[in-house]
Amino acid sequence: MIQMQQPKGIPAAYFNEREHQICVMARLIEDGKTYWVAGGGTPMASILLAKKLYAPNAVYVTEDGVLAPEPALPLDPIMTMVSSRASYRALQWGTMNSVGFHAQIGLMDYGILNTLQVDPYGNVNSTLLGDYKSGEFRRFGGPGGADSIASLCWRTILMTDHEKRKFVPRVDFISSPGFLDGTEGARERAGLPKDTGPYLVLTPWALFDYEERYLRLIGISPFVTMEQVLGEMNFRPKIAPQLITLEPPTEEELTILRTEIDPRGQVTITGDIGRWIQKREDGTYGPVEAEPEGRPNPNLPRSW
Amino acid sequence: MVKELEILAEGEGEYHPVDPDGFRQWVRDHKKRALVPKLMSAKEAIERFVQDGDYLVYECNYLQRGPAALIREIIRQRKRNLWLGAKFTWVAAALLVEAGCVSKMDVGFFLFGPTVDRAVKEGRVKIYEYSNVVMTNRIKAGAMGIPFLPVRSFGGTDGFNYSGAKIIRDPYTGQPTVIVPALNPDVALIHVHQADVYGNARVFGTGISDVESALASKKVIISTEEIVDTEEIRHNPGLTAIPYYCVDAVVHLPFGAYPGEMAGRYASDVEHVVQVVGATMRGGLEVYLEKWVYGVEDHFDMLDRLVGWKRLQQLVQRATIKEGYLP
Repeated sequence: MIQMQQPKGIPAAYFNEREHQICVMARLIEDGKTYWVAGGGTPMASILLAKKLYAPNAVYVTEDGVLAPEPALPLDPIMTMVSSRASYRALQWGTMNSVGFHAQIGLMDYGILNTLQVDPYGNVNSTLLGDYKSGEFRRFGGPGGADSIASLCWRTILMTDHEKRKFVPRVDFISSPGFLDGTEGARERAGLPKDTGPYLVLTPWALFDYEERYLRLIGISPFVTMEQVLGEMNFRPKIAPQLITLEPPTEEELTILRTEIDPRGQVTITGDIGRWIQKREDGTYGPVEAEPEGRPNPNLPRSW
Repeated sequence: MVKELEILAEGEGEYHPVDPDGFRQWVRDHKKRALVPKLMSAKEAIERFVQDGDYLVYECNYLQRGPAALIREIIRQRKRNLWLGAKFTWVAAALLVEAGCVSKMDVGFFLFGPTVDRAVKEGRVKIYEYSNVVMTNRIKAGAMGIPFLPVRSFGGTDGFNYSGAKIIRDPYTGQPTVIVPALNPDVALIHVHQADVYGNARVFGTGISDVESALASKKVIISTEEIVDTEEIRHNPGLTAIPYYCVDAVVHLPFGAYPGEMAGRYASDVEHVVQVVGATMRGGLEVYLEKWVYGVEDHFDMLDRLVGWKRLQQLVQRATIKEGYLP
């Protein structure tokens, strides 16, 4: 069974789906473990929030070899790695090779990734949409560090949006390996380390784990229905007999997220943040008609 | 009895030829063992040491402690048919492709957008697939003087099929094991905090594969924020990341990472970063190149006319964190 912290604080009245996803992820962070994360974005925001509230002894490293930093937030756009603020008060400054080798000998417990597409076996595409061989495709940036994270960490967690085009029966291109064709031992046959692989997928709407190396729905957010969750997937996942409710953000979580971790809104305001959700008088949750005003949009690139 | 190494799978991608003995001979014949001053201008360094068709790596990138000024000089000199080691790179790959400098790319990561997408579709640029770490592992192998390196990642991906990697049966454990070809680039560009005139170089902060690229590459161009006396180097030899005898040129380029951050010295120019990232993702790089590269004489002309002393001082003032960046 998945270990998840009880949310601290009182349930928030207003939040957006991106904030909800980050808060749920923060409660899933395991204390005292190592996380290899892409610099910036939702994975880094989640672990920083977790360190403040739920898992003070969780440690993260980034691709440029920063080990266990206490970053000076906020970071300038793109300056999530090889920068003085992102690397501040680390325990070691290494290199891409050094952190890669640390992961290769088994020091990294978890990796958290974003993705363009994911399939039922947890394979990740960040390279292109379309057909590689025919040349009919739209090219993206490539795996970056994700391939190594997905190969070498003991457990891999994906954070992605809940959209039909993202959950596909077969990814257009395996940039980073999940359970590959889903057969037992497929990763080992491809030369990957034993006992590694996909662990969870978290969207703003739902949480999945894997049963027999196949995606399984285990939790749903209170502002969506099962039909909505399954309707935005291009394949049917397995479904756990009992589903967890992904508790909405608390005021305490949002305060830390909005004021300390992401005060410029680079992750939680700019770009695709999903819908704004409201707690109704009867205690249920649903999307609000108009977005609440207040925080300015800094018009910065989405990634930190 | 003939015993053969069992190859279980292999990618079909072309890869930069692997030749450890050839590289040793190059090193024997070209790398100066004597302490010879190597100070020169960016123009001279790029003219002398970057040839059309070279395999090029640069450390870090255009926005993060990278050799941004040297990359602009390559574009200004309109080098052609470069094979790019595009690891951990945001906009530099797109700038070089837009300028027509690149015909092949080994990709770890670059910031995508219409420029590279179009170049690939039109067949002007051929891409081979790797990951950032696999690329630095390949350079590590090149720096070790060995032909290939076993790695525990990359197997099972589609990228593997379009790369130079193979899966062999490891003769020691009997397990399927990925091997990747060593990479000895023709030329490496590395921007550092401090160097002496011979090329002994100090880097403060994190990085990608500065030391490995310096050792693995046939021609190494160091650009540095500051030239320090060799007595200073001898005073604290533990800080020397890159030793002089693998360096071919030293270029003194203060603000050489601009518009990127040089950790401990100056912050990134946020406005400029947002502009060049936007142009990469949405189009308009030709306008960017016209203004920032072709429209100026050199790095100093650019700083003088397009950035200005006031702006540079603001960037210096914004770099408030000094811990770890002072010798």
